[in-house]
Amino acid sequence: MAAGPASHGGLRRAQRPHLSKMERMVVSMQDPDQGVKMRSQRLLITVIPHAVTGNDIMEWLIHKYCITEEEALHLGTLLVRHGYLYPLRDPCHLELRLDETPYRFQTPYFWMSTLWPAAELDYAIYLAKKNIRKRGGLFDHEKEHYDQLHRKISHTWDLVVMQAREQLWAAKQRRKGDRLVIACQEQTYWLVNRPPPGVPSVLEQGPERNSCTAGRVQMPTGPFQTKTVDFYRREVECLRKALGRARVKSSVCLEAYLKFSSQRGPHDPIMSGCLPSNPWVTDNDTYWAMNAPSAAVPTRLRVEQWAFSFRELLEDPVGRAHFMDFLSKEFSGEKPPPRLPARAPPPRFPPAWGGPDPVPGPPAENLSFWEACEELRHGGQAQVPALVDAVYQQFLAPGAARWVNIDSRTMERTLVGLGRPHRHVLDDAQLHIYMLMKKDSYPRFLKSDLYKDLLAEAVVPPKTKRRVFPFMRKPRHSSPSPALLPASASREPSGGDGEA
Amino acid sequence: MAKEECKALLDALNKATACYHHLVLTIGGSADSQNLREELQKTRQKAQELAVAIRGRLTPPLRDRGLGAEERAEFERLWVAFSSCLDLLEADMRRALTLGTEFPLNKPLRPLVRTGVEGGAANVAARALSARSLRHEAERGFDVEDLHQLEREILQVGEMIHDMEMKVNVPRWTVQARQAAGAELLARPSAGVSSMRCVSVEQRMGPCDPSKALAATIFSAVLLAAVALAVCVAKLS
Repeated sequence: MAAGPASHGGLRRAQRPHLSKMERMVVSMQDPDQGVKMRSQRLLITVIPHAVTGNDIMEWLIHKYCITEEEALHLGTLLVRHGYLYPLRDPCHLELRLDETPYRFQTPYFWMSTLWPAAELDYAIYLAKKNIRKRGGLFDHEKEHYDQLHRKISHTWDLVVMQAREQLWAAKQRRKGDRLVIACQEQTYWLVNRPPPGVPSVLEQGPERNSCTAGRVQMPTGPFQTKTVDFYRREVECLRKALGRARVKSSVCLEAYLKFSSQRGPHDPIMSGCLPSNPWVTDNDTYWAMNAPSAAVPTRLRVEQWAFSFRELLEDPVGRAHFMDFLSKEFSGEKPPPRLPARAPPPRFPPAWGGPDPVPGPPAENLSFWEACEELRHGGQAQVPALVDAVYQQFLAPGAARWVNIDSRTMERTLVGLGRPHRHVLDDAQLHIYMLMKKDSYPRFLKSDLYKDLLAEAVVPPKTKRRVFPFMRKPRHSSPSPALLPASASREPSGGDGEA
Repeated sequence: MAKEECKALLDALNKATACYHHLVLTIGGSADSQNLREELQKTRQKAQELAVAIRGRLTPPLRDRGLGAEERAEFERLWVAFSSCLDLLEADMRRALTLGTEFPLNKPLRPLVRTGVEGGAANVAARALSARSLRHEAERGFDVEDLHQLEREILQVGEMIHDMEMKVNVPRWTVQARQAAGAELLARPSAGVSSMRCVSVEQRMGPCDPSKALAATIFSAVLLAAVALAVCVAKLS
């Protein structure tokens, strides 16, 4: 229990850089010349030094970092919420107030980076101490936690009670002022780590990103670790990868994101509803039937999606089929294609792929070539050599029946690679053809009559009328249990509505 | 009786761990100083000695197959308390190491965090060592060597814990603690080992606070003066 958090401490700290930044800020506030102005807190008889007011903190932040008041307030609130500062008058409300309310700094032991995650045993000891001090006056959520902990770690409850008593005794050996301060510090720590219900927890993190930090897990980050050659080699590797990562300006990213959201908003079934109706709600699966990959008549939204990008068009089987159609019809009435081979050898291997037409016209060879490469990439390993050979004979050999136009450099590279065929050997050529189609044929497809006709013919399903009496639902058909005999299964198409 | 000895040692270890925890709390704060580091070292060394002693006493009965069920349950209970205490100690030692490295003393570029805690903790350490008072005799630069020492000790304690797990097999879920929930609210039974000052838990106010006594005397003096003045005024009129 104790070894776990300590050994992962290095990784955790590396993943939460905001904490080390806050800590540096707190340490620079302690500078005797340039730090925050400190006052004393007077409580009846005892005087406790090192109190700061909210105003002082704000002024210091504004002065040091040259930021606006709003930003300074936000920074200050973050410091308080993460427990690096705590208010003295109203300790349960961790927020920064811009008046004379006094605050104090938290001791480094209770900083989030040192002591995280909070251990159950520690919390149990704290609650036991509070129980003793306040004679059972715990808050409701604390009482619940207490009971839960007692169930979970009941085997060490002896130690909990003993430690609680002893810690209180140890605290009594100090002056009263110190005792108060230490009690406040511990209280703040537990307010941050076990917040009362209704207070948002600052400890929640998103999913752990497994980028290059995954490689650093194995390194122990003790302060006196020996730095061997391996250590430096790993560091160099990590930093090299970091340099090579492509970085995009956040303005560009955000613009792209906004464009994506506005373009895709009407198409998203959750954001804009799906027609005719959401199958999960109304048990009517027309929506799925109409949007199936091999639907005969595509919906209007689907046809509109083809205009977003070339990839969308190619990934949709219906779209791809129509594109192939368009390509073969495009040049049918025009002059013959510029490149006719002098002798036209019969195709050695019949095309095993292709669109609805068994032998599409010449310009459709680009798309056929692209499809052939896709099949190579995703097909079985055993078929790779034969397929590479077939593709070469059909599309790439000089004088082939369906020769595709690739530039010389790519062709040289591909020919070299063909000597040792693997599934990615035609990737360069495929990419070249893809870009060609995207720049050339795709815009023409979008402007063509074929596409406009498709848009006009596309189906817009009507929204189902909401039933007036919602509790009279259609009886649900439960699928027949596999244990039933086939005869009885066919006899019973509609099971009871008793299913959940 | 072996059990009583073990209990006594465990209480002492518990006390040392609690005091060590209390001292580690203030590292890096305004109360951090050479003296504090020395106290930390003394406390943890005492705690380690106690740990070794307890382990020596507890391991043979637990490895003895012929022990009766009740006796065995009792020893298991002590074992669980002992190993959890040792876990706490190790965790605190690790934190002391990280904090000690981050907040070295006598370095003007890394000021200590002003936390408002100012007094010395000599009494706490003295309580851990069951001594009357503590003498500070460290020389300058003590904290840096101490950190190396601390690292070695952490490794030793880690090995001890690992050894313990390997040698003695005590399933935690079968152990029944003697204290129930809310047991801390009851008065502490008179322990076999009495601490230096035998004050029971119910006594909320500790020994007389000097500042409170001062306040009381001032108040009574003022009251007497007021009464005397009133008497004079009454006599005059």
